[in-house]
Amino acid sequence: MTATTTGTRTAARVVDAVKVYGTGDTAVRALDGVSVTFPAGRFTAIMGPSGSGKSTLMHCAAGLDTLTSGAAWIGDTELGGLDDRRLTLLRRDRVGFVFQAYNLVPTLTVAENITLPLDLAGGGGDPEWIDALVDVVGLRGRLRHRPAELSGGQQQRVAVARAFAGRPDVVFADEPTGNLDSRSGEEVLGLLGRTVRQTGRTVVMVTHDPVAAAHADEVLFLADGRLVDRMASPTADAVLDRMKAFEVPS
Amino acid sequence: MNTSVRLSAASLRAHKRRFAGTFLAVFLGVAFLAGTLVMGDTLRASFDTMFGNAARGTDAVVRSADAITTPGDTQGVRQPVDADLVRTVERVPGVAAAAPDIQGAGQLVGADGEPIGGQGPPTLAGNWIDDPELNPYRLAEGRAPQQPGEVVVNRGTAERGGLGIGDTTVLHTPDPVEVTVVGLATFGGEDGMAQVTFTGMTRADAEKYLTARPGGAAGILVRAGPGVSQEELVDRLAPVLPQGVEAITGQESAEENNEMISGQFLSVFTLFLLVFSGVALLVATFSIHNTFAIVVAQRTRENALLRALGASRRQVTAATLVEAGAVAVTASAAGLAGGIGIAAALQALFPAIGFPFPEGALVIGAVSLLLPLAVGVVVCLGSALLPAVRAGHTAPLAALRETAVDTSGASRTRAVTGAGLAVLAVVVTLSGVLVIPSVRLAGTGAVLALLSFVVLGPVASTTAVRVLGGPLDRLRGVTGSLARRNALRSPKRTAATASALMIGVAVVSLFTVFGASLKATMDRTVSQSFAGDVAVGAPSFGAGGSGLSPRLAGAVAELPEVDTAVGLGRGVAEVEGAGRALTVTDPVALQRTFDLGEVTGSLEALGTDGIAVTAQEADRLGVAPGDTTRLTFTDGERRAFTVRAVYGRSELAGYYVITREAWAPHRTQDADTLVAVTFADGVATDAGKAAVQRVADGHGNPEVQTRDEYARSAAGGIDMMLTLVYALLALAVLIALLGIANTLTLAIHERTRELGLLRAVGQTRSQVRAMVRWESVLVAAFGTAGGLALGAFLGWVLVEASDGASDSAFAFAMPPVQLGVVALVGLAAGALAGLRPAGRAARLNPLQAISTE
Repeated sequence: MTATTTGTRTAARVVDAVKVYGTGDTAVRALDGVSVTFPAGRFTAIMGPSGSGKSTLMHCAAGLDTLTSGAAWIGDTELGGLDDRRLTLLRRDRVGFVFQAYNLVPTLTVAENITLPLDLAGGGGDPEWIDALVDVVGLRGRLRHRPAELSGGQQQRVAVARAFAGRPDVVFADEPTGNLDSRSGEEVLGLLGRTVRQTGRTVVMVTHDPVAAAHADEVLFLADGRLVDRMASPTADAVLDRMKAFEVPS
Repeated sequence: MNTSVRLSAASLRAHKRRFAGTFLAVFLGVAFLAGTLVMGDTLRASFDTMFGNAARGTDAVVRSADAITTPGDTQGVRQPVDADLVRTVERVPGVAAAAPDIQGAGQLVGADGEPIGGQGPPTLAGNWIDDPELNPYRLAEGRAPQQPGEVVVNRGTAERGGLGIGDTTVLHTPDPVEVTVVGLATFGGEDGMAQVTFTGMTRADAEKYLTARPGGAAGILVRAGPGVSQEELVDRLAPVLPQGVEAITGQESAEENNEMISGQFLSVFTLFLLVFSGVALLVATFSIHNTFAIVVAQRTRENALLRALGASRRQVTAATLVEAGAVAVTASAAGLAGGIGIAAALQALFPAIGFPFPEGALVIGAVSLLLPLAVGVVVCLGSALLPAVRAGHTAPLAALRETAVDTSGASRTRAVTGAGLAVLAVVVTLSGVLVIPSVRLAGTGAVLALLSFVVLGPVASTTAVRVLGGPLDRLRGVTGSLARRNALRSPKRTAATASALMIGVAVVSLFTVFGASLKATMDRTVSQSFAGDVAVGAPSFGAGGSGLSPRLAGAVAELPEVDTAVGLGRGVAEVEGAGRALTVTDPVALQRTFDLGEVTGSLEALGTDGIAVTAQEADRLGVAPGDTTRLTFTDGERRAFTVRAVYGRSELAGYYVITREAWAPHRTQDADTLVAVTFADGVATDAGKAAVQRVADGHGNPEVQTRDEYARSAAGGIDMMLTLVYALLALAVLIALLGIANTLTLAIHERTRELGLLRAVGQTRSQVRAMVRWESVLVAAFGTAGGLALGAFLGWVLVEASDGASDSAFAFAMPPVQLGVVALVGLAAGALAGLRPAGRAARLNPLQAISTE
């Protein structure tokens, strides 16, 4: 994998993404023709009210879910053509995840949780990079602890370190601050932002919190399964104002 | 209460899969139990009918009053009565007919030259009684024997031997007699009395070949005239009978015969099977308990919510118990039906493999119907009791906490209790083995040892899984490491799951070790006691066979290759009031072919009034060479014998040795059980063996075996027994595996989110499968290791306790190869048990798994 530092390369994208859940009368169009590109080396936030399709978009873009129609790419790889095994390997090698509920493996130590994707791939990884990551997330003294012995914020920082451990093309974060108090949340968001800017990684974050979205380079707004707006260099107030517009029936 | 029922019904509906394992465990255990009982009932009923039919015409039996029973032979040996007593009996008013019943051992040779039967059931010969009412056999084809050499054979035997009317063959009594089949007979409507072979001869032939002296009969069968009851007949017969002869009613006689077969054979047979269904049910108890414990732990939040909303402890406990009850009743009922199905299948299958299972309806006694049901329900409810009480004790506050999954470790109390039990077990066992040899004490120790293993399981599981799983980290990387840590998550649960397998493996290892020790014992016995070069044995096992011709030893001794040939016969007598088997032989030659150990006195001149005794029996009787001891023979004669020698080893030579001359006046049918041969100097084993075989061919073709072959054939029965035991234990192991599979399935349900995460961050399906499978193998390895340790220890205890409690010396042997196979089977079984849960885990959709709350 070559280091990606330019802002013009594409880390991930979806084209005409449609996702339909159910059939017939009960069919729900969670995504209704979304096309979006996530440039490499950028921190992108996806916002939208509940049911807007933002989580679905992330899941499909990350190869966790499949599109009903349209296409999704990670780098140059089209996900639609991959079977479960290749999709899994792709996630392992080229994608990182941060979930709302931390989702650490309780039986593994902090250090083992961080290197889990690398270990699953059969070892390897870059010890210097991991070492640097540990310092970035500030868990040096906790490496031998179990997740149950950490606070929520600490657990989420472990999850962030894990997501970046394999130097993936893109890290997807699904409401990473949803379970955290505002201070811990701020720490995690700062961590995500710093990692993108200092090391040239790519992060796509789904959130409904304008404060969280303000940490991103760009915010995409989703409503009813469509991309309705985008905002560069967002601030919390601007995002909040834009969000309020959704609640006003047009 | 109503709410409880509604709650449990809803829970059962929602979690059908969780209870599938419990259902299967109860079902299998109950089916095994019910099948055994129904089969026993049916066999017993059919024997009742068979003996009832066969003896219907016999109203009274006249026979010797005294029977001498020796240990291991409850039927006893009776002296013949004078066959001429028939004339006296016939003159008694009310007697319609009387016939002597002459019986002995007689083995027919089939059309292929091989002896028929002899591997267990008796091979009988007797006089053909012409009165059809008195003869338990009915002539089905042909005619009764009239000329010397003519015989009637029961149809089953004829079919097995490929014999038909008009065929000529040989009957070993044990001397070969040329006979011609002139008729085929049935017994109680069947082709024979189970697998017993019967050859009916003329009365003259029977007297000539089957009794030591002409004129003797085992008894006299009497039929009453019209209007005379069996009791009246016996009352009338009693006064005319000589001293020492008694009359019993036909009914009593039939009951005795029936008792002999169904009372002994069937009881042992069913008891044997019941023990194994007990093991299966014990294993099931662990599996069921574990399932409920896990389900209750998983439902903590739900139960806490109920408690918070106002459900009483009793209601929550009751809901769980009702759930268990519903599973128990359906599974037990299904198991009962399954058991009856098994019995029906066996009824159909047995005749196909040559075992006559009676035809007609299955007989199902009330006990066979109710016992399995009751046991199934009690086992299931009993196993669920503790978890149910725990469910009731859920604190309402638990609803507000994070999902509390059972991760409790081993408590100090448990470690202390377990260690205390273990120490107690070792002390009791060792004192039962080493201090006061007592099988009962050793047995108590064994139960305590089992208990301590179960109690200590959770304490040991952490260390054990860590050690057993050590290589996994290195071999399987993170997948192995995850598997190992999953197995370590809940030591209690891992231990409970493994305990079920542990018990199964422990019983298997126990039998394996005991079987190997028995073989080693025989091997040692032969190598230490048998100083001869070859042994000639009757090809038989159990009560069958006709023995060896008493003339064989003499014929073999005349061969130029042979130095000494000694025949060993068997006699019975009461020695100081207790029935004992006697070895009837030539004591001088005996000493040359057997190592009798340390001998005080001399066997050179026992004569007709001398006896040699083993040291153990001499101690028991308190006699030394020169003392006298009194023997009472079956003919009622009491004689004083002088103890002329006391010898050390009894394994092959028996406890008492007398000369043929001393036994001759009291003998019944003449037969040797073993002829031991020593070759002259310089004769090669092969040449000598061939020469002996040529002589043996003329005396009923018994097998000639070298020392090694002799030891091996003695051990052959043990292998057969072990195979049967393994087959029966397979069920217990199967139930244990269901338990492992069930626990894993429940654990996977619990770890759905975690599995989803692993998949999301790149664990492939095959890695998920491997992870679950290795966890299963680890749990199985823990159970197998515990079982092997416990089984080997109990095997040693059993051997040592038997050694201490019986006269003969037992050797202890550890069979490493067989135990290795047991270990491998345990591990393979673990991998097998993990197959389905692993598949389920791998099929989880990562996205759904992550979003599951």
